[in-house]
Amino acid sequence: MKFSDLKSSFQEFWSEFKRVRSGIFGLVLFGFFIFLMLFEPLLLPFEQANDRWRDITYWEDSPKGVPPVWANWFSSSKKPTSSIIADAQFSEQDLGSVKIKEWLFEYDFQADESPQDVILKGQGSGTPMIVYSLIRPDGQEVTMVQQAFSLGSKNAFRLSADKDAKKTVLDFVSGFEDPQVVRRTDAGRTLPTRFLFAQAKPGIIRSPEALKGLYTIKVTAIMQGANDSLSNLAIVLPGKVSGLLGTDSYKRDVWSGVLSGIKWALLIGILTAVVSVSVGVVYGVVSAYFGGLVDSVMNRIFEIFVSVPLLPVLIVMSAVFKPSIWTLIIMMAAFFWVGPVKTVRSMAMQIREETYIEASRALGAKNSRLIFKHMVPLLVPYSFASMALYIPGAIVYEATVSLLGLGDATIVTWGQILSDALSSGAVMNGLWWWVVPPGLAIAFMGMTFAFIGFAMDKILHPKLRTR
Amino acid sequence: MFWKYALKRILNGIFIYIILIFIFSALFNVTMERTARALVEEQIQSDLMALRGSQMTPEQTRRFIEERRERYIQRYHLDKPVAERVLRRAWDTLSFDYGKSTFIKNSAGERDVTKIVFDAVPKTLLLFGTAIIIDILLGLVLGIKKAQRPGKMLDKSTSVTTMVVFGLPSWWLGMLMIMFFAYTVKIFPSGGLISTPPPEAGFAAFWDKLYHLLLPVITLVVLGFWGRAFLTRNIVLGILQEDYVMSARARGIPERKVLYGHAMRTAAPPIVTMALLALLASVSGNIVFEGIFSWPGMGNLYWTAIQQNDVPVLMGNLSMTTGLYISGLVILDLIYGFLDPRIKVGGKG
Repeated sequence: MKFSDLKSSFQEFWSEFKRVRSGIFGLVLFGFFIFLMLFEPLLLPFEQANDRWRDITYWEDSPKGVPPVWANWFSSSKKPTSSIIADAQFSEQDLGSVKIKEWLFEYDFQADESPQDVILKGQGSGTPMIVYSLIRPDGQEVTMVQQAFSLGSKNAFRLSADKDAKKTVLDFVSGFEDPQVVRRTDAGRTLPTRFLFAQAKPGIIRSPEALKGLYTIKVTAIMQGANDSLSNLAIVLPGKVSGLLGTDSYKRDVWSGVLSGIKWALLIGILTAVVSVSVGVVYGVVSAYFGGLVDSVMNRIFEIFVSVPLLPVLIVMSAVFKPSIWTLIIMMAAFFWVGPVKTVRSMAMQIREETYIEASRALGAKNSRLIFKHMVPLLVPYSFASMALYIPGAIVYEATVSLLGLGDATIVTWGQILSDALSSGAVMNGLWWWVVPPGLAIAFMGMTFAFIGFAMDKILHPKLRTR
Repeated sequence: MFWKYALKRILNGIFIYIILIFIFSALFNVTMERTARALVEEQIQSDLMALRGSQMTPEQTRRFIEERRERYIQRYHLDKPVAERVLRRAWDTLSFDYGKSTFIKNSAGERDVTKIVFDAVPKTLLLFGTAIIIDILLGLVLGIKKAQRPGKMLDKSTSVTTMVVFGLPSWWLGMLMIMFFAYTVKIFPSGGLISTPPPEAGFAAFWDKLYHLLLPVITLVVLGFWGRAFLTRNIVLGILQEDYVMSARARGIPERKVLYGHAMRTAAPPIVTMALLALLASVSGNIVFEGIFSWPGMGNLYWTAIQQNDVPVLMGNLSMTTGLYISGLVILDLIYGFLDPRIKVGGKG
């Protein structure tokens, strides 16, 4: 087949394809996915989401299991978004042997619910004494942590109200609340920010009301040693809403996960479909071309493969061999190829009887030439249509294997996100932003190729259009 | 001649089943043997525990363990060559002796894998059987409606829906259904086969089972019957373009009669096979779905076996699934041969 032939036959196909509206819709969706995949580095809010998806330290500053930002539009009580404050008002006092440094961070709090945490991050060295406190709009000052740290030489450190200040914050609150209630409250089970950002009056423990206004987070460091230092301080306030699609119970950004999953879904689907359909088409043509004993032996092998319950075998193989994503694709292709064989074989049976095949054979053409030059090209349109329809199947199968926790742990796929959601009880606790988007992505990806495949099918079988 | 065709097809099915079991036995040989050796060690430990009352010197204990190990290895044929072990295991599987599970027990507390698997089979058949029947009925009705007026509103919109649900994983829809109908609007149970505590026997028990069956069946049908309708439509539409249908119409036979008397007669065999084939594929493809609804069938058994790393149960379950799947294929061919007399003659269609 020459290039010009290919071009004209493609143009012919395209002029027909253009008229099928659903096919065009599928192409648009496909283009959209490709766009998202190509611009992934620009669209990812967390740049290392791909490599460090399972690294909890990477996600530690994000809020835990919160809905997306736009959930606020539908709710009467406004939840705070996450914020990072790096600008501080810095002052230093030199008292000879002792240095006192002070940083003041300002946080304007206007939401109806408190943020999840107040985290101080930075780097330091030596053994500074750090006082970490919050000055509230009502003038109250709460000292959360007051402690000497031994940081060694240049180490990152992190102070979290939730982890390090549960007790001190409860002590502060106790002054306002009914002693009965205080006694019954277990400090280990409180969320300190609930009290820190609440009006200081009775009821602060049971039903805190937000105290809006300008908060100041004060960090004071008393340094005695020569090499004591603190630098790069920043305050992180994980909100109650976050990102485009919220976060999961492991504090991971769901949008980053769904976005990273696109390339893997495309890879799994397209590679599996291309490999298995190519194998199936060649198998069917060879079987039909040779006929006789070859045909019946090949038919037997085909029958055995057809009788395999695909998904259960795939699941057991994954459980036993713990495959990487590439091995999984090979395993799927090893079973998917049977799909087109039957149709291809009967089509090739007809082609074999054509006179031009006979003429070519009379001219002394070899078997391989007849098969690959004269028969397979005629089946290319059919192959493309069936490839498109195998892609969703491959994606769903990978997702199902991943759902059982057997996926490749070095990558992020939609099935794995759903597997984590299921095992962490997202369904039970109603974390819909964790369950819906990855599944919707699978559904849309499936829809894309179904639209394209069915449109091609329609062109190939014009009889089915109308009567 | 039907019985001859049937016999041939059944024998062929059994032959394929035997071959597949051999392949599985060879493929998973290493894992199966690791489990068997662990089982031997476990049995030696329990033998030791039984002997704890009698005083033994360390030397005696060591000799006892070695002697036992040798005996068990002989009993499980672990000292034989690999080929023989593979053949033996395949033979055990074929005679429905799946061995002992590592952790999982059935409702009666037994660790016999065969019993565990046989416990699960009827539950899977109940769930998917119910779904399949509703699925086919709805699909057939909708498909014929679509074929009668191709390209019109109903046909187009339902075809689009078919494509929309094409790549939708059933288990994901199940998760959404549970999230909505069991936890948000609490009208359905979140899973399981019966309520705890189980209601008294009789009508209440029946109703309870039906109540638990409803949500998973609805989920399966909502996803499935579009595909069935699309298939029916294509087959019926193809036949409605045949010459004999046109001649029937030309003779003035009423459209209803043309459709059900002439067209459906030809359409029945392919519709039945393709529908059953698609459903067989959907059972094998949706088996994981049971895990979402904690429906104690074979699909759920895969979940628990993987979570508990129980290899014998996994293998036994796989053999049973394969057996059922092949039986389904054989039954399919028998129905096809029954409906379409051309098949059983053995001509090449």
